[in-house]
Amino acid sequence: MKKKLVIIGSGPSGLVCGISAAKNGVEPKDILILEREKELGGTLNQCIHNGFMENLTGTELASNLIKAAKGMGIECMTNACVLSLSKDKVLTVISPESGYLKIQAEAVILATGCREQSRGVLSIGGARPAGVLSAGAAQRYINLKGYMPGRKTVVVGSTEIAFIIARRIKIEGGTVICVCEPKGAPLADKKYIKECLTPFNIPFRTMHNVTKIYGKERIEAVEICQLDKKGKPIKKTKEKIECDSLVYSCGYTPDVDIAIEAGMVIKRDTKGPRTKRNNETTISGVFASGNAHIIHKSIDKIIKESAGVGINVAKFLQRQANELKEKENEDSAHNDSEDKE
Amino acid sequence: MSTKAYDVVIIGAGITGTMTAFQLAKYSIKTAVVEAGIDVASGSTRANSAIVHAGYDAKEGTLKALLNVKGCEMMSQITTQLGVHYKKCGSLVIGFNNRDLEELERLKTRGETNGVKGLRIIKRAELAKMEPNVSKDAKFALYAPSAGIVCPYDLAYAVAENSASNGTDYYFEYKVDKIERDGEYYVVCSEDKAIKAKYVINAAGCYADEIAKLINDDLPFEIIPRRGEYMLLDKCEGKTAKHTIFVTPNEKGKGILVSPTVDGNTIVGPNANIVDSKADTGVTEEGLDEIANGARRIVPQINLKAVITTFAGVRPTPTSGDFYIQESEKCKGFIHAAGIESPGLASAPAVSEYVIDILKKAGAKLNKKRKYIATRTKDGNCKLFYDMTEAERRKAIKEDPRYAIMVCRCETVTEGDVVNAIHRPISAHTVDMVKRRTRAGMGRCQGSHCREKVAEIIARELNIDISEVLKFSSNSKLLMGKTK
Ligand SMILES: Cc1cc2nc3c(=O)[nH]c(=O)nc-3n(C[C@H](O)[C@H](O)[C@H](O)COP(=O)(O)OP(=O)(O)OC[C@H]3O[C@@H](n4cnc5c(N)ncnc54)[C@H](O)[C@@H]3O)c2cc1C
Repeated sequence: MKKKLVIIGSGPSGLVCGISAAKNGVEPKDILILEREKELGGTLNQCIHNGFMENLTGTELASNLIKAAKGMGIECMTNACVLSLSKDKVLTVISPESGYLKIQAEAVILATGCREQSRGVLSIGGARPAGVLSAGAAQRYINLKGYMPGRKTVVVGSTEIAFIIARRIKIEGGTVICVCEPKGAPLADKKYIKECLTPFNIPFRTMHNVTKIYGKERIEAVEICQLDKKGKPIKKTKEKIECDSLVYSCGYTPDVDIAIEAGMVIKRDTKGPRTKRNNETTISGVFASGNAHIIHKSIDKIIKESAGVGINVAKFLQRQANELKEKENEDSAHNDSEDKE
Repeated sequence: MSTKAYDVVIIGAGITGTMTAFQLAKYSIKTAVVEAGIDVASGSTRANSAIVHAGYDAKEGTLKALLNVKGCEMMSQITTQLGVHYKKCGSLVIGFNNRDLEELERLKTRGETNGVKGLRIIKRAELAKMEPNVSKDAKFALYAPSAGIVCPYDLAYAVAENSASNGTDYYFEYKVDKIERDGEYYVVCSEDKAIKAKYVINAAGCYADEIAKLINDDLPFEIIPRRGEYMLLDKCEGKTAKHTIFVTPNEKGKGILVSPTVDGNTIVGPNANIVDSKADTGVTEEGLDEIANGARRIVPQINLKAVITTFAGVRPTPTSGDFYIQESEKCKGFIHAAGIESPGLASAPAVSEYVIDILKKAGAKLNKKRKYIATRTKDGNCKLFYDMTEAERRKAIKEDPRYAIMVCRCETVTEGDVVNAIHRPISAHTVDMVKRRTRAGMGRCQGSHCREKVAEIIARELNIDISEVLKFSSNSKLLMGKTK
């Protein structure tokens, strides 16, 4: 199969890239959005809280973008997982409906989003019982499946989603004992504390970390400890807190497996692909956008960047087409002159 | 109710027990394996360094030395037969000064006496070429080309699944608490359950002494639980070391190592601390610091920010210092395979043959089976999607479209892999069982994106509610009921 533009990922970034490329001259029928999950929309689908763009919920924003993309005639394929991307822009894709596919693209946008960092980074002592999970996983259990991962929870980390999940657990009838953050200030904007913790009487403790997990089969308690300025636990402040779940949110990294395998240069600081000003990666014609490029502070910024990437990709494709035409003209001019001789 | 009778009951489904079951499954006798845990490899076999040691560590003339060298030689054949990842990556013991060099020379001589082939002392220049990241202070190394790495629980699953496919019965959550005599049989009981056999093999790892006590036998040594902690690094740091690198050993043992794993990660550890409980597989802050420092001695620039998980295992260290594999003097037909500490994994193939020799001497009649399945299961070696070639992937998806549904993107695990693991002879019916068989949840994000998908598939395939799905044991439910 051949496609002018293939976008990997249908989160807000992928959708906006597609819409913007189409608005800027790429034929919608030449655009294909590939999505691994059953539904389009990416992480937005699990965000039932509002605060997206003009105060929409995540799901509302997703459905608006999906409607817009589909309305323009952009092809979207769900349940389609990209296994790899080669330097010459051949994608290997698997899908239960279409099987094992090879797609040759002229341009590719990596809009694969990000992943939550694992608990290992925190190196918490103790065993590995059930009831310890990431904020994203907790959100999916509660919001998408209707199940509680715990009823008495400690949250560690202070990203937006750490605060949002604390509030959600409380709204769903659970208890949140506290949210703690090893650093001196929250990672997310302070407004989240006001919106998510204060009204629900959930304490927020900076310079505090979970230092131990109790329980072998299911978590039974955690040890919380205050940290000194160097980040070392102050032993005498150790405190054992009973709980049945620990939700962690220690930040995100761009989802770059495809990029690494394709041989792109990954930046040490952002952990995303190195890009030129137009978001083109070190592989010509492959662009990175949204959280797959760099972890953004807000959805607004992702949408702004993605709209720009759509324009840049349209320009790239136009340039390619022009070059091809020129070459053809040259060739035919050449041929013509040969003919004359 | 009549008690089910077997020729042989093996207590413990660690690598010693399962490997013995695998070797026994070639003969036409009836074997059962009973295991306290919910799965194969619930003890030391689950969490260790995963090194197939070459055999220069064990003292000359010990059972350990004999079985280590032989086991290491057998590893290639067994892993090829059953499709288990195994790599002969070689090991290096590095030395920093002349005292270390003397010790390395001693190890080399010992290894040669034990029958290890190809041992060589190398100098700085060659070492630097082999291991660009190794400490500049490392001046020499003992190179053992026959050492390797293997996934310990996968090896245990493979041999267990093969034996189950060949008619061996497995009983899980069967903690043996009483053993009685009934004529020529031993009745092996757990709570209200009982099975009986003419021969019993005690392969209970850390608990082998307690099993001996159940028949009023006393092992001539104590088993001391010594915990070893580990850190596992992301695959992006998988090239930190190309060989298994140790420092020159001291009185405390082989010390902390840095090694690649068969799955492409880097493993760092273990320390060795005596613990109160044989079940204490928790990690500690101090312990992790200790192994981090140990690792920096070997690779000063090691990127410990890339740690994706930490874990610990408990060694069944015998005070005698050697493996103890013998028929009980008091109880005929009762065979102990105890004190199987490191290199118990590397030695397992040879340990199991040794056990079978004792069984024969004790009178067990072993005739080769006519119908024998040589692969993991009757359907072959259950290759994972990740390991398949492009042609195999196309074929797998055509035959079962679930191989085209991605479950774990970090480790490229598909729904087809998960469903296969759930329906194999030893069913993976918990999230961790699926994880260890398929690698779903073992990557960069440690299951934060796939655990719930695995749980949903388990619930669907076993026809239970998702809130009933377990992480690993009966008290480890993933969820705590519905939302409001
Ligand atoms: C930190 C560490 C590092 C190591 N590194 C290496 C290495 O690099 N290379 C190497 O070769 N070896 C290594 N080893 C040693 C190796 O892991 C062990 O020798 C090997 O796994 C022992 O296997 P086993 O089957 O004898 O014991 P186990 O794996 O412990 O199995 C015993 C089983 O018996 C079960 N059991 C106990 N009591 C009962 C009961 N009453 N009823 C029913 N079942 C029971 C347990 O649940 C357990 O599953 C290491 C060990 C540790 C802990």
